[in-house]
Amino acid sequence: MTTTDTRPAGVTGARTGPRDAARRGRRGPASWFRGGGHHSLVFLLPLLIVFAVFSWIPIGRAVLMSFQATNLVTDPTFVGLDNFQAVLADPLLWTAVKNTCYFALLALLFGYPVPLVAALLMSEVRRARGLFSALAYLPVVVPPVVAVLLWKFFYDAGPDGVFNTLLGHIGLGPLAWLQDADIAMPALVLEATWAAAGGTIIIYLAALTGVDSSLYEAAEIDGAGIWHKIWHITLPQLRGVLLITFILQIIGTAQVFLEPFLFTDGGPANSTVTVLLLIYRYAFTNSLGGDYGGATALSLMLAVVLALFSALYFRLTRSWSSS
Amino acid sequence: MKPSRIIAATTAAALAALGAACSDEPDDGRVHLAVAMDPGLEQGAIDAFNERIAQFEDANPDIDIEAQEYNWTASTFTAQLAGGTLPDVFTIPFTDGRGLIERGQIADISSLTDELPYVDDFNPNVAAAGSDAEGGLWAVPTAAYGQGLHYNRTLFEDAGLDPDAPPQTWDEIREAADAISEATGETGYAQMTNGNTGGWILTTMVYALGGRTESADGGTATIDTPQMREAVDLLRDMRWEDGSMGDDFLYDWGTVNQDFASGRIGMYISGGDVFTPLFTQNDLDPADYGLTALPLDGADSGVLGGGTLAAVSPNTEADEQAAAVEWIDFYYMEKLTDQDAAVADAEALADSGQPVGAPQLPVFDRATYEQSLEWVDEYVNVPVEQMTPYTELIFDQPLLPEPATATQEVYAVLDTVVQTALTDEGADIDALLAQAETDAQAAMDAAA
Amino acid sequence: MRPAQRTDRGLIAPTDWKRPGVRWTTRLTHTALLGALVAVGLGPMLWLAKAAVTPTQDTLRRPLALWPNGIDLANLAEAWTRIEIDKYFLNTVIIAAGAWAVQLLVATTGGYALAVLRPRYGKALSGIVLATLFVPSVVLLVPLYLTVLDPPLLGTSLLNTFWAVWLPAGANAFNVLLMQRFFANLPREVFEAARVDGAGPYRLFWSIVLPMSRPIVGVVSVFAVILSWKDFLWPMLVLPDPDLQPLSVRLPALQRFVELDVFLAALAISTLIPIALFLLFQRMFLSGAGLGGAIKGLGGG
Repeated sequence: MTTTDTRPAGVTGARTGPRDAARRGRRGPASWFRGGGHHSLVFLLPLLIVFAVFSWIPIGRAVLMSFQATNLVTDPTFVGLDNFQAVLADPLLWTAVKNTCYFALLALLFGYPVPLVAALLMSEVRRARGLFSALAYLPVVVPPVVAVLLWKFFYDAGPDGVFNTLLGHIGLGPLAWLQDADIAMPALVLEATWAAAGGTIIIYLAALTGVDSSLYEAAEIDGAGIWHKIWHITLPQLRGVLLITFILQIIGTAQVFLEPFLFTDGGPANSTVTVLLLIYRYAFTNSLGGDYGGATALSLMLAVVLALFSALYFRLTRSWSSS
Repeated sequence: MKPSRIIAATTAAALAALGAACSDEPDDGRVHLAVAMDPGLEQGAIDAFNERIAQFEDANPDIDIEAQEYNWTASTFTAQLAGGTLPDVFTIPFTDGRGLIERGQIADISSLTDELPYVDDFNPNVAAAGSDAEGGLWAVPTAAYGQGLHYNRTLFEDAGLDPDAPPQTWDEIREAADAISEATGETGYAQMTNGNTGGWILTTMVYALGGRTESADGGTATIDTPQMREAVDLLRDMRWEDGSMGDDFLYDWGTVNQDFASGRIGMYISGGDVFTPLFTQNDLDPADYGLTALPLDGADSGVLGGGTLAAVSPNTEADEQAAAVEWIDFYYMEKLTDQDAAVADAEALADSGQPVGAPQLPVFDRATYEQSLEWVDEYVNVPVEQMTPYTELIFDQPLLPEPATATQEVYAVLDTVVQTALTDEGADIDALLAQAETDAQAAMDAAA
Repeated sequence: MRPAQRTDRGLIAPTDWKRPGVRWTTRLTHTALLGALVAVGLGPMLWLAKAAVTPTQDTLRRPLALWPNGIDLANLAEAWTRIEIDKYFLNTVIIAAGAWAVQLLVATTGGYALAVLRPRYGKALSGIVLATLFVPSVVLLVPLYLTVLDPPLLGTSLLNTFWAVWLPAGANAFNVLLMQRFFANLPREVFEAARVDGAGPYRLFWSIVLPMSRPIVGVVSVFAVILSWKDFLWPMLVLPDPDLQPLSVRLPALQRFVELDVFLAALAISTLIPIALFLLFQRMFLSGAGLGGAIKGLGGG
């Protein structure tokens, strides 16, 4: 934040003193709410209500519920760490954690270098660069549900499936795609990468235009070639944005739900059950009544891991935008 | 972007939503009741349903019926129950009745159902699914089914098989599947595997081979058995040796119906009453349809059967519960017990081109069931002769209820078994079944 | 994000561009890149457009053939009428519009109060607003659902009302942060002048701050609409009534009732509208995409 207010937060005192008021008056609009700040309150009302009801209280409730047994039918009872123990004892949890890590890893392998290379190439396009960007961004515009349902058809495991026909043209396949526990997850990641890469390309393109061209000129005077320039100038200049997209991707992929839910519902043989899918099942598809305690306990554990990444991200964006 | 426009849009949206909330329940002194209607129906089926509503409202002017799209699926029911978004009258499978009753998650309408003239005529096994420990009927059994083998007559003919002589043993099923996939390139035999249906069908096969998936007292999981092994081996032979099971091993109830109706599947196992949804939701060509009984093999073998209960939401008031039981009686039950009602129902269905006469199992006794079929004989428009291989045998097959303890959870465990068997050629079946038995036992212990 | 420095050169030196070897290599690379982008970006869309007017059996047996048995335009009509795409599309628009309005209301008023009026609890307040950025949306899934079932004070469930989607969308700390930063950077002399002219905080907000904030309002609007358009899990949970569901929720449910050719036609129609919007407002989308990436990771879910 770039406020110029140097007053420490949380200064107490019900009424604003005259000296304080004078300071505020000098500062401008602040003097309007001398009388107790009710104007600010009026403006803050929507924010306070919406955040309290739909963010702060639910977050508190999540913590509370993780220590309770509740199914909305009987009154909640405190059960200590039982929910956490039950979740940690669920054999499916480790499958889900493994699958989620696998998804994240594959998403990095597929989804990290490709947009970077594409953006590097596109940044050298002189004519009709808009066409390139638009084409690259097009999949991002497709509603994700539509993309998944369309790809689900592409992944038809028969020899007449769209992808298998394509593979057939080059003498490969047919692959079982979603019907094979070994390649179902890579297939999910492939679609997710297709759907998201355009956004990353645009981010990199924006960052590339920010690279100081005098650095290139200086390097050229020293006789540096193209690879040298990429390695020693472009990539170091992009390291901030590269790190940020990396962390964002981790945070995003750790919460992957849509693809496993719609493509395979976790199958075949639980090979695509992810942590969020498991949370969803605990809470909403348990035929014994929603296990809300287990669901919140698991989501809190996931949240602690992700909060670390978020904090890192936030630090980086701040230092990056002020550098 | 003008700020005034933002405010205008917000206000308009707010007013619109308020209006919607207010118009929810008009206060006209009538009892308002939301009742379940199958989703995704063809227009003709919707017309038939509305016709029945109109008839009911004529007879009960103080009740206002509103149709709400609903069908029971394991994956949505809990959220709907917790969210209070179920219709006032909805259907649940036999397997879920006892649990919901024990937890008080459906309304206790036993004092109302006690008044129904036929309350004591239910087949005791069927009535048990909807009754509490004291025998009070909380949920009314409306239909029962026994599993059957559905087959595509056209694909049978294309493969040089006689559609009037469907397979009678598991070996013949395997041979027919192989012949169909060889001759037509379509899936010879398909198996549901997803959303707990994998467990449902695998249990069906185990029953037909003489096994069970839990001990008689419902306390012990019995997954790792010779019969389970036999069922899995049969599937693996068809999948990996014959290659007759097609390319999709993530079918659930809806998707397998869809592919069967569009002529892509030779045979599959599902409830004997699935003709109606195949026709009303998936546009099946009746000429393609064939139905036969499952081959029973070995001592203690039997056909897995289940059924549907009509239940009432716990969020209803007394007057709504009374109206709900009226509706259940009118819509689901009268056609089974009263000639005029049966004829009226059949006429409405037939007039709008909807199926009449698809085979079911009796919820009362066989005589009452056959009587009700006779009443509507002239309206029957489904190809009953194509279903005779089933209807001739099903009453002689021992009917076995679904497993009682943690049914859906154990089914979910078995989903994994069948998915692994069908997608992993090198799977270690011994280890798979041993693990499944452990997991199933854990689920049953947790539920107990 | 750092302001982009527009340069007339990139990685390759202007002198290198003059060399035919470099020129040909880059030209070749760019043609290949364009081909790849067309195949990957446009290809699936073109295939979908074709499949939307192709009979089911053709699509199944020869998915890559061009019109083997003619065109079946009836698919589109049936998708529109039988699947009622129009209704679900309208729901999608209503949901997006409401979510947009709530987000703007919260972000502009909140950002204004925090950045311009600056009450003494402002810092603490922005602290706890920003803190929610660190809480992944997955944590909120269950408690938020229970809040919607039984919201405080209202006494009636918000389930199956659009409010259940609109209101939680407003609790987006990223929007507040963007607005607050933008407002804080507006020249304070303008506010001072307005104050001397006798303008109160409401007029200052309405007639001065908001009109000066069009760029940031535009950015937040694009994010709000895109987020809402993409959302699936949340509307699926809180709008179980099919009559209220947006396209994203309804399409997977419809899949099992609808024949393949009609279903693909429905997918095509659902894709057409966002693509048309994208082509119309391309610049806004692409310039917002950089920041959009950040939102995707943190803000909503």
